[in-house]
Amino acid sequence: MKISQPHPILRWHWLVAHLLVVSVGLAGCGAERAPASTAPVERPTVAVEVVATSFQPPRECSGAFVAHRLDFTTGTRLRAISTYISNGAGVAANDLDNDGDLDLVFASVDREAEIFWNDGSLVFTSQTLDDRFGRGVAIVDVDADGWNDIVFTHRGLDGVSFWRNQGGESARSSPPAPRPSFALHPLPGVDSYAYAMAWGDVDGDGDLDLVTGSYGVELLQHGIDLPAADPRAGVVLHLQQEGSWQAHVLDREAETLSIAIADLTGDGQSEIWVANDFALNDKVWQRNGATWDIVQLFDQTSHSTMTTEWGDLDNNGGLTLFTTDMNPYDISPHTLAAWVPMMNQIEEHRAADDPQVMANVLQVRDGAGRWQNQATRRGIDASGWSWGARYGDLDQDGLLDLYVVNGMIAADMFGHLPNGELVEQNQAYRNRGDGAFDRAPQWQLGSTASGRGMVMADMDNDGDLDIVVNNLRGFAQLFENQLCHGASLQVDLAWPGSANRAGVGAQLTLSTDQGVLRRDVRASGGYLSGDAARVHFGLPADAALRALEIVWPDGATSTIMTPSNNARLIVTRSDE
Amino acid sequence: MRQSTLTHPARLNVQAALPLLRLPDPKQHTRIVLASLAIGLIASYTAVALGWLPLWAATAMVLIVLTPAGALKWRDDYHRYGATIMGLSILLTAQGLHTVEHLVQWAQYNLLYWTMRQSNGLLSPANAEWVHFTWNWLVLITVVLLMIGGMRGGWMWVLLTVALFHTIEHSYTFIRYQMILRELTAMDVLNVTAQGLPGIVGRDGWLARSEWTRGTWICTIPGLTTAVRLDVHFWWNILEMTPLLLAGHFYLRGQAAAGRFE
Repeated sequence: MKISQPHPILRWHWLVAHLLVVSVGLAGCGAERAPASTAPVERPTVAVEVVATSFQPPRECSGAFVAHRLDFTTGTRLRAISTYISNGAGVAANDLDNDGDLDLVFASVDREAEIFWNDGSLVFTSQTLDDRFGRGVAIVDVDADGWNDIVFTHRGLDGVSFWRNQGGESARSSPPAPRPSFALHPLPGVDSYAYAMAWGDVDGDGDLDLVTGSYGVELLQHGIDLPAADPRAGVVLHLQQEGSWQAHVLDREAETLSIAIADLTGDGQSEIWVANDFALNDKVWQRNGATWDIVQLFDQTSHSTMTTEWGDLDNNGGLTLFTTDMNPYDISPHTLAAWVPMMNQIEEHRAADDPQVMANVLQVRDGAGRWQNQATRRGIDASGWSWGARYGDLDQDGLLDLYVVNGMIAADMFGHLPNGELVEQNQAYRNRGDGAFDRAPQWQLGSTASGRGMVMADMDNDGDLDIVVNNLRGFAQLFENQLCHGASLQVDLAWPGSANRAGVGAQLTLSTDQGVLRRDVRASGGYLSGDAARVHFGLPADAALRALEIVWPDGATSTIMTPSNNARLIVTRSDE
Repeated sequence: MRQSTLTHPARLNVQAALPLLRLPDPKQHTRIVLASLAIGLIASYTAVALGWLPLWAATAMVLIVLTPAGALKWRDDYHRYGATIMGLSILLTAQGLHTVEHLVQWAQYNLLYWTMRQSNGLLSPANAEWVHFTWNWLVLITVVLLMIGGMRGGWMWVLLTVALFHTIEHSYTFIRYQMILRELTAMDVLNVTAQGLPGIVGRDGWLARSEWTRGTWICTIPGLTTAVRLDVHFWWNILEMTPLLLAGHFYLRGQAAAGRFE
């Protein structure tokens, strides 16, 4: 299967790029083997090997994003979309066949999932994976065998499904299989209802743990009269212990749409940040020895929180947290008329000391360490009926921008609109660098398809971030970045021998002559979606790179001095 | 022997110092006013207790029962003091009750944590865009007429300014209400109200959400661009009631000094 717009770039370009691969120590390309040289006293340093590859040249520089249709739909087999089918499903990007290209997996609410094998140059081959009625999806090396696996959450009463990548066996078969196959395996100890999930090393023991959250209203629809009393429901932390997982219920009540595992407080330990729909407050758990305590970090949160997103928007080393909600992006009579009948139906929640507002929220820490909502001040509080939202340096100026996909289809809520659909334009926001955001219609990312899950990743290996959206009741879309601004550095971590081979949770800090940029290695994020473990730093074209510091999930650090610009680094940790 | 001279402060004549307090006095109509009030309250309480009427209808019943007595009182004001003071008396009574309504709404929302939809005060059907629109134009016209009738001064100009902006705010919401109704009608949605949407100021209002203020400090001015509509209009009425009381006070004191308000 090919995407709708074929392109001229030949495969040998990529091969040539691979010939440029250098092992560390070759000076010409700027990639350097750099055993960690400077590190905080209390953190051990570990040596790394660095291999750099060049990016492919961009196919075209139109100065905008170009939308490509991917031959995948979800929700089209149903006669009508009602709540909560309306919540759609996610998409994940990562390398499934270890060829260096990022592949895609789409979950579907009404049919099987689909793998899109990336053949390079935006050519994909699709393959059906018999995992039905999915919600969330992540591509992560669960069993640490060097091949990324696929994990789904589901609508209804199904929990998590684990599709083990049999790449190792496929490669050894005779003749070698052209692509890895996948087999459904149990995840020992994981039995909870799961709408949303997040992967990460939450207890710092070097392996990947899993946090799941159920969606109470959907359980009610499926006959669970009292979800909070059901032992499979709630927010559940599954701590891995050598290939099996031990469940710890964090909260019996859950209307969870998104979960993040990130070091929100900057204390070197990951917190678990759970976003709930409706009146149920969002919650953050912090590790306290062997227990997990709820901490009140925020004075204000979104009400029906659909996405959790985090990143360093201001290049000051601190995280700013973003959540999405339902709030019309303009107040024209035409827009409001579409919303008003639904707004008259939904139940408004009021309670003393309720921190929830029906708007996007941007949490920024002030000088005293308190989180403050600055979404309105920065112009990103209202982006429509918003689902997936991601930060990413789309124009490669060294600043994280923001993209939000939106829209709603529900015949029981929007019966007054054609096809029961609230049609909205996705919203792209350019980071101005002074804290505020400008709308960026010039990027032509204002698709009116009903977006749900969304990831940003470099799908064509040209160095910049493309965007992939799983649309409900419409074709999935790939927005090819043809802005051709700036430069970039991408980093893949490899931690052989570890149970967290991609270094999920590692923090990368890139020092340049124009500021310090921080990124995290993730496995999942946003709304129901799985992130590629590949980290992207956008940079002004003339930026000089001074050092890349890696804080591995176990706290060890590595530093690479003067990494090359416009390259993808594969950084392999060596503990010997 | 030392002698001290004790001076007794003059007894404060509240009625003289605050002539505004004399204005609501029904005088010879006191009995009829009290009787009307008693009848209205008993009837409305009974009707609500027995479930015959909702609270808003009972409140309206009290006001309707009181109207004849009020008309007699205002006619008396006209004959005693002239049209301007009668107009001031009517405006004070109406705006006073209006402020009570907003105070009840504010308490429902901020103290009882009722939803915006529930926080309708005592006269919920009156919480409609056309009522707000008409009311504020009538207030503005009355203020202008009072000024023409001789009631001027600094506070009156403040009142005029506030009333003008309040009327512009309600004209904006009313026009947008009509535009949204037209959109809804075009969608064949006829049974949905579009009441209570933000106006120029307040959270999600024009000032906070227009493209030229988006992402600026203007969007987060406490109250002005952050308050919900219910709070915004509570404060609009406080802002309007305060200069009205002060303007009335100074005007009546002047009239009393001139022997025209005994």
